[in-house]
Amino acid sequence: MTPARAAFGLFLAFLVAAPFALPEFYVTLMNYIGLAALVTLGLVLLTGVAGLMSFGQQAFVGIGAYATGVLTTVYAVSPWLSLPAGLALTGLAALGIGAITVRLSGHYLPISTIAWGIALYFVFGNLEILGRYNGLQGVPPITVGGWTVDSGRDSYVLIWVATLAALVAARNLLDSRSGRAVRALRFRGTMAESFGVDTARLKLVVFLYAALLAALSGWLYAHFLRFVSPGPFNVNAGIEYLFMAVVGGASSVWGAVVGASVLTMLKEWLKDILPALFEQSGNYEVIVFGVLMVALLHRTSAGLMPAFARLVPTSRREARPREAAPLARRERPRAGEPLLDVRAAHKQFGGLVAVSHLSFDMKSGEILGLIGPNGAGKSTMFNLITGVLAADDGEILFRGERIDRLPSRDIARRGIGRTFQHVNLVGAMSVLENVAIGAHLRGRHGSVASILRLDRAEEARLRAEAARQVERAGLGEHLLDAAGSLPLGQQRLVEIARALAADPVLLLLDEPAAGLRYREKQALAALLRGLREEGISILLVEHDMDFVMGLVDRLVVMDFGEKLAEGLPQEIQRNPAVIEAYLGGIE
Amino acid sequence: MTAEIVAWLAQDGITNGAIYALLALALLLVFTVTRVIFVPQGEFIAYAALSLALMESGRVPGTIYILLAGGALAAAMETARAVRERALARLPRILALYVVLPAAVAGAVWWAVPRNLAQWVQILLVLAMVVPLGPIMYRVAYQPLASASVLVLFIVSMAVHYVLMGLSLVFFGGEGLRSRPFSEGQFQLGVLNVSAQSLWVVAASLVLIAALWFLFERTIYGKALRATAVNRVGARLVGIPTNLMGQLSFLLAAFIGAVSGILISPITTLYYDTGFIIGLKGFVGAILGGMVSYPLAAVGALAVGLLESFASFWASAYKESIVFTLIIPVLVWLSLRSHHVEEEEEK
Amino acid sequence: MNRTLLAAVAAAATLGAAAAHAEITIGVTLGATGPGASLGIHYKNAFQLMPKTLGGEPVKYVILEDGSDATNAGKNARKLITEDRVDAIMGSNGVPSSLQIAQVAFETKTPYVCLTPISLPPEKYHWTFVVPQPTELMMGAVAEHMKANGVKTVGFIGFSDGWGDLMYKATTHHAAAYGYKVVTDERYARADTSVTGQILKILAAKPDAVVVGGSGTGGALPHVALVERGYKGRIYHNHGTVNAEFIKVGGKAVEGAIAPTGPLIVPEELPANYPTKKVSLDFTKRYEEAFGAGRRNAFGGYSYDGVLILDAAVPAALKKAKPGTPEFRAALRDALEGVKNVVGSHGVYNMTATNHNGQDERARVLVRVENGVWRLLK
Repeated sequence: MTPARAAFGLFLAFLVAAPFALPEFYVTLMNYIGLAALVTLGLVLLTGVAGLMSFGQQAFVGIGAYATGVLTTVYAVSPWLSLPAGLALTGLAALGIGAITVRLSGHYLPISTIAWGIALYFVFGNLEILGRYNGLQGVPPITVGGWTVDSGRDSYVLIWVATLAALVAARNLLDSRSGRAVRALRFRGTMAESFGVDTARLKLVVFLYAALLAALSGWLYAHFLRFVSPGPFNVNAGIEYLFMAVVGGASSVWGAVVGASVLTMLKEWLKDILPALFEQSGNYEVIVFGVLMVALLHRTSAGLMPAFARLVPTSRREARPREAAPLARRERPRAGEPLLDVRAAHKQFGGLVAVSHLSFDMKSGEILGLIGPNGAGKSTMFNLITGVLAADDGEILFRGERIDRLPSRDIARRGIGRTFQHVNLVGAMSVLENVAIGAHLRGRHGSVASILRLDRAEEARLRAEAARQVERAGLGEHLLDAAGSLPLGQQRLVEIARALAADPVLLLLDEPAAGLRYREKQALAALLRGLREEGISILLVEHDMDFVMGLVDRLVVMDFGEKLAEGLPQEIQRNPAVIEAYLGGIE
Repeated sequence: MTAEIVAWLAQDGITNGAIYALLALALLLVFTVTRVIFVPQGEFIAYAALSLALMESGRVPGTIYILLAGGALAAAMETARAVRERALARLPRILALYVVLPAAVAGAVWWAVPRNLAQWVQILLVLAMVVPLGPIMYRVAYQPLASASVLVLFIVSMAVHYVLMGLSLVFFGGEGLRSRPFSEGQFQLGVLNVSAQSLWVVAASLVLIAALWFLFERTIYGKALRATAVNRVGARLVGIPTNLMGQLSFLLAAFIGAVSGILISPITTLYYDTGFIIGLKGFVGAILGGMVSYPLAAVGALAVGLLESFASFWASAYKESIVFTLIIPVLVWLSLRSHHVEEEEEK
Repeated sequence: MNRTLLAAVAAAATLGAAAAHAEITIGVTLGATGPGASLGIHYKNAFQLMPKTLGGEPVKYVILEDGSDATNAGKNARKLITEDRVDAIMGSNGVPSSLQIAQVAFETKTPYVCLTPISLPPEKYHWTFVVPQPTELMMGAVAEHMKANGVKTVGFIGFSDGWGDLMYKATTHHAAAYGYKVVTDERYARADTSVTGQILKILAAKPDAVVVGGSGTGGALPHVALVERGYKGRIYHNHGTVNAEFIKVGGKAVEGAIAPTGPLIVPEELPANYPTKKVSLDFTKRYEEAFGAGRRNAFGGYSYDGVLILDAAVPAALKKAKPGTPEFRAALRDALEGVKNVVGSHGVYNMTATNHNGQDERARVLVRVENGVWRLLK
């Protein structure tokens, strides 16, 4: 048993023992902690992992609570029917709001969450059927069979079963094909799209999950407190949940429990301790609370969870993947078939022409070098082919099909894999997991399947495939290291492994040899030749001319967005225009 | 709705919008320079307004204790750093800035309150009390976290907001206060009966906005602020002291907040916790302006003020719902136009 | 993590462990911070003036802060009942908070002396006793005055919160009986900087009088705005608004404002035979001595009267059981229901099984702002 498992076991033991061992009020407090942890968990996924800051979760708690409040008090519906009704209503609201706001970028999202949070609060407060500002009284307790959940200890069971289930579900989700993509959303959305992830849809899924957790918490809240009023769903409550996420550690699902526990307990203690120190009670709690929070964040801006994690000496959590049946591979074009055809592609940024009506083509089984001085437009060309940027003019055909109007994830689906000039890895994830993102399109199980662990067979194959590609890139010994901890040169190799995990027909490599030592370059060249033998075509941007000349079949030379020359390596080396561009610029 | 009502509502909206515009500018300034979503901006409004009202009724506002304590804390932190870096030569300057200056201000307030001096003297004293809180706040709460994520900085902002709001309740009490108007006059403007005070608000906003423009376009500090806003690392590389720029932006924000508070305190009742919602509306204005452009932020804030005014006529119970729901479509439109920039991964 | 949490919880448990007590314990939760702070401060202040014994037995008040938040109020109530094993619970300012406490009191079978006018379904009243005058009783005085002055149409503007709702309900409650119509229901927030829109709407409806459903200084903003826009009709307020700060903020504009309140606001002017004169005068004097001249208000009086009611009920309960036991709490509840002729600062309380408030017209007077002070309107 690993220490981490032991820690989890201890936590479970504590949860089981708590209602018997703790005094009544601490059981009550644990209920509040569980309720808050549910909402905070959604925020951890949404804000900490996926990078979507939300101040609006309390609104979903409110929808869940009011849905059951109205249905059970006004229409005398069973709580077990009002739960799905509340979840459905929240789901609809979240999809509606999410469809509009999740696609908002940058700071628009948080402000729109504040906006809907405030708007909904006043709607709660002004609707007659919701009891206006005075709320709904007499929400009945939940009954399970003959068991009426009406004491604090009874509610405890329900609340913590729900919270644990949500925690396990969240952990399962993050440790899966969808989860890897979710973890790339925050900083690496463009990369994820390039490997077939529909980031907008995935954001919506995370948003929906967070909203449903909040609604579940609201349902439990209403039946635990037996009373619903608008106060607990104002914008301050939403900010409180965010507090919990940040204090607990927004990047770990357990941070939700830590944050909810620490903040709830801290407030109770302040309530007990401060009146003894100050004459006037009350006024100082919020002040001391604020001061403590600032002091805490000064010490550890990553929240408390990393500190807690250090208490549990973990051996490496992630296991090396076992062998598994290989994934199906794509049918490959025969050598010499037309593969890529760029026709007068054009891209302009304001007045700057990055790529000017450029045309070239590639045959299957070829390694084509794309060279040129800095700023010649090579990386822009890559982005046009992979759909990261849309061309202003011209056409790009891949195996006879136009792709220049497709989003990058659809281009990835057609068998184009790429690396990025600026390394685009999720630094906190292991090399293995980063590479497994490359194989995203080779799996099919979604979020729900991964939460229910129905994806394990496929997941094993994905991970085994990723491990094979890491080995192949010569990084076997770093398989489980955090990608961000590797030197830059090796990170570029991880990028190649990730692209290979996508089982590409065409591989686009942007300066793969930069930062590599001589021997590593030789190994890389050997790897690329091996890929060509397998029938993978490669489009290569590289500045190291020795590396390029020894490897490529053909070269296209770009300068100021235009094609300067095209031909065999020997021809290019003798081409006066090329020499002028390369040497003339140096003077 | 008659034309007269429209005119009244417009006047009301413009007066409020002018305040929101000032706050929007301050929030934008702080955000672009330091990436801090400056929730406590609203506290400066409350502190300035309530301090002024207290001084007018002959009481010493508790603001001076906050100033003294904050200064002492900042001095301690600076001294610790100076000792660590073995730069003891900095000590006299630290003492002068964080201890002597606040003490002088506190002394002056103490001396002036029972003498019931002219209103403009009291206003100057209020500014002297409230404005230094800005840089002190930056030094104490934010500077140690200057490179943290926007989320963490936001949480710090909330914590600072809690502290200041709590102190505000302790020192100013739970009931609202109002200060004397600068001038009681009324002007006839068509059908409108415009109070001199609301003209003051609009005029002062315009002057401040012009002054900010001048600062940014024409002075070396303004240029340094802009450079820091565009690229923090780059600014540091060319020798701009980014911490000083942070303090400067907080100083300006505090000044703008304090002026806003002084301007509106005669026309409305202000409470210890009023600042938050006013600041929030300024923030919405800044967002409507795209969080990048000062003139757009001012226009956005004005729009919020007008929208609020008309919404309070049509359906006052749903006023906030209307104001905050209507900005969502605007946000969507803005975001569709803007380029998506991914946040930098923290090291 | 679990170890630390466990240790922490254990530490907290010992810290808060309730000692066995012979004295009577009264649990109080109030919001002296948060949006209801201006009221909560007064409620809380009054506890510094409370008697040290109840029915002859020593009493301990455990006062917790709920920040004017219903969830916190409920949490505090549970804490007081399960940790401090209180014999009765008091609080809070704010309707939702009080409703939440009533729910907890009902679940835990604890007598609850409620300090905010709330209304509950009849079966839920079992454990709850409400000190403040019902809002209908208070606004009834306003309705009478309006009828006497020929008011036919009334504009309403109130807080966009539970208090505003209560006031609107109470104002419309009397409309038919007193022959007026409520023509507007405008709302504003205490922290709003302007109510121009709402005021214009009211002016457009041309009501004979306006009722303001705010509280404390919050009532001044619409009043001042109405006067500035040249409104000439009477402006009525409610008992939440009656304090000196309201006049200070409103200045000359609020001259002539009329409001119902408890007799403790103007005890000096009450006729000598007024039943509450002595208690009202005594409490108001002590309150102002402790917290400053001109600080008199209705809210401190509710806390005070709540304790007086408990004081009257405790002896009967003590005969049946010992404090700190469920039996005592049940006995105390029964005794509270039998409280007769308890003279408080606000009025005379006569509880019955069906009336858990027990106030009558003696608990209300009308006051008017005259020359910058609240004076009894005779």
